[in-house]
Amino acid sequence: MTRLPLSVVGGYLGAGKTTLINRLLSEDHGLRLMVLVNDFGAINIDAALLASADEDTIALTNGCVCCTMGADLFMAVGDVLDRAPRPDHLIIEASGIADPAAIANVARAEPELSYAGIVTVVDAGQIGGLLGDAQIAPQIRQQIGVADLVVLTKTEGVPGEVADLLAPLHPRAPVLLGGGRVAPLLLDVVPMGQRVMPSGHPAYTSWHCACPQMRDRAALQDKLEGRPGGIWRIKGLVQTGDGMIEVQVVGANCELRAVAGGQARGLVALGLADRVTLAEIEGWWSGT
Amino acid sequence: MASTTLFRCRRIITMDPNRPEATHVAVREGRILAVGDADCVWPDQEVVLDDRLADTVLMPGFVEGHAHMMAGAMWRYAYVGYHDRIDPEGVLHKGMTDIADVIERLRGHEAGLPEGQPLVAWGFDPIFIEGDRLGRAHLDRISATRPIVVLFSNFHLMCANSAALALAGYDRHSNIEGVVKGSDGAPTGELQEMAAMFPVMRRTGIDFRALTQRPDVIETYAEVCRRAGVTTATDLFAEMEEGDVDTLLRVTGQPGFGLRLVPALGAAGGEPRRIAERALALKAQSTDKLRLGAVKLMTDGSIQGWTARVKWPGYVGGQPNGLWNTPPDQIFALCAAMQRHGVQMHIHVNGDEASDVSLAALEAAARAHPWPGARHVLQHCQMMGADQFRRCAQLGVCANIFANHIWYFGDQHAALTIGEDRAQRMDAARSALDEGVWIAIHSDAPVTPMGPLFTAWCAVNRTTMSGRVLGAAQRITVGEALYAITLGAAYTLGLDGEIGSIETGKIADFAILGEDPTLVAPEAIRDVPVLGTVSGGEVHLL
Repeated sequence: MTRLPLSVVGGYLGAGKTTLINRLLSEDHGLRLMVLVNDFGAINIDAALLASADEDTIALTNGCVCCTMGADLFMAVGDVLDRAPRPDHLIIEASGIADPAAIANVARAEPELSYAGIVTVVDAGQIGGLLGDAQIAPQIRQQIGVADLVVLTKTEGVPGEVADLLAPLHPRAPVLLGGGRVAPLLLDVVPMGQRVMPSGHPAYTSWHCACPQMRDRAALQDKLEGRPGGIWRIKGLVQTGDGMIEVQVVGANCELRAVAGGQARGLVALGLADRVTLAEIEGWWSGT
Repeated sequence: MASTTLFRCRRIITMDPNRPEATHVAVREGRILAVGDADCVWPDQEVVLDDRLADTVLMPGFVEGHAHMMAGAMWRYAYVGYHDRIDPEGVLHKGMTDIADVIERLRGHEAGLPEGQPLVAWGFDPIFIEGDRLGRAHLDRISATRPIVVLFSNFHLMCANSAALALAGYDRHSNIEGVVKGSDGAPTGELQEMAAMFPVMRRTGIDFRALTQRPDVIETYAEVCRRAGVTTATDLFAEMEEGDVDTLLRVTGQPGFGLRLVPALGAAGGEPRRIAERALALKAQSTDKLRLGAVKLMTDGSIQGWTARVKWPGYVGGQPNGLWNTPPDQIFALCAAMQRHGVQMHIHVNGDEASDVSLAALEAAARAHPWPGARHVLQHCQMMGADQFRRCAQLGVCANIFANHIWYFGDQHAALTIGEDRAQRMDAARSALDEGVWIAIHSDAPVTPMGPLFTAWCAVNRTTMSGRVLGAAQRITVGEALYAITLGAAYTLGLDGEIGSIETGKIADFAILGEDPTLVAPEAIRDVPVLGTVSGGEVHLL
């Protein structure tokens, strides 16, 4: 059965997690989403997308938003896996103080899920105060440290003082939540089994290799570890001397998994255009 | 005209200072018509004498101000804890002091299970077990084919046998946080935190949601309470999702249901104002046996898990300070909204930094939205000192103190968590009373077993499992402890006008005891037998 990709959106109260999710729900990505939130309050659904709603569930034409919290969150993930048909992608909004890694770790543990990344949302105006507050700073630093991508909200640029605060906490510079599409950051734009190229949006660099081959699993691992830092996502099936290997890269996270049978479907990579160029990716892949 | 039942007893401890003792209590329509001697009912009343309780001692039904409905449901699984426990059917389960005991006990359970059904156990706590850590190899000796899962008492960890690990695909190639591996590179069987536990839980049919709010779970909880002499109990942190309230109303409304249930809505996530509105909507659905309308706030974690938020100098082992489950500014926002809308709060505070922040939030809320009768309750209060209790008294905030910790974890607190001097002043019931705070004391069942007389014993004697007295200066008297498990706890639930003492006009909720706890030695209060309860005038003998 196809594994269900799971993305976790973390970040402190008021950082803009719901804004990011609202944006995602309104974009035309062609996927059926399941979103688990801990508060419906700020979810803002375009009437054209709204199918029905009750106390705990909002049904959309392109998915579903459910409200859940606490230990029940994991039980709700079980319900999502038991759905027929399954959604194409699961997004969990972590509560404002939660460690998003404690949730996202389930995607590595559960064989029917696949890890699709942690996006931690940071409010540019709020972060200085939070990191200066000894009572909660450790948990805020943790949220940022475990992120695959830090998204900065409520700012036009990256203020120098914010960059200085974030630099020791996360190796990659934050991404601005600008006017562009957010779906490629959060979603798996190339569902397994479909030859769909990533969108041609100018904000993103995308790359595709039709039938990648590698000597063995270790060689593939080495190759991926040397990938350009600006690549955000790599996904696909690669034929190796050790059999077919499924590749899942999100941010700093790289996962290889042997799969029985299957046909090589190629490899796709995606990154922000201001972080990585097509030439860099091609140079990396074809290089030795 | 409704009939009147006159119960004759060996002795009645009323907790009413106007008539501390009596021998007879008359009950009509579930309420107390009169208290006194054989002639307490005024003339011309038709009275039926009930002699079933003639050899017993009656007290006001005990009030458990902090417990969870899960306390009953856990018994569908095999118990493998360190301490003796009594199940809802009244069967004593001896505690298991080493791993060989645990394996032996699980072998017995395994033999009785149908083929293919996973064996699930609960209550294991490695903090009490010396020697090897429980692992897959131990459980494989019970069965190599049947999945076996042992849930630890804190619900954050479990141990699985090889068959259960295989269900989740965990093996030496797994590189997953929380899947503990041994020096041989293979999983030891121990799984830490929900993410790693979830794949095994899902494949062995463990769903925490099935441990609350279901009809059989509510009935089993009432059984647990009856065995402890409890006639009113909380369920502190109820999700109460769609349909749950209907189930609660149906089950608690059945004739013969012997418990007044007080669930508090979990206030986690979501806009404070909306949580307050939901609590008020629930309150409007309250009945005699189901009292809705309060909320429960989480703030920090637990001291023995090193997740409580502790003030300087922190944990003696150098562990980092604990975790907020709700950040301080959200605690302020929740307190302000609940106070403004008139919603009573029960606030979980284990560490002294958590209680400090919560008191500051309550002070701010009190200034913004004065509400003298709010009776918010700080729950657990384990590290609060006289200074914080004075602030409680000033605000009219109650303290429900986790007295059972002295016995169960006192030695560990002195040795491992906060050290000797702070452990001596933990769960400071004496300071709280001296500062004029309304207190209750509690079990937090299923964390420790429900038993208000045991809880009273803890507060009176402050004896730990090793037999020492931890903090003699914080001991309270038997009378004070009995008050805390009756009227004191009733006060924290805003029910002191209806229950908590045996006096005319109140609901006829009694604990039926085999001996008089005011006459036995203070060291023996925990041994006073509970024979059953009277709930709303109906006798429920064990």
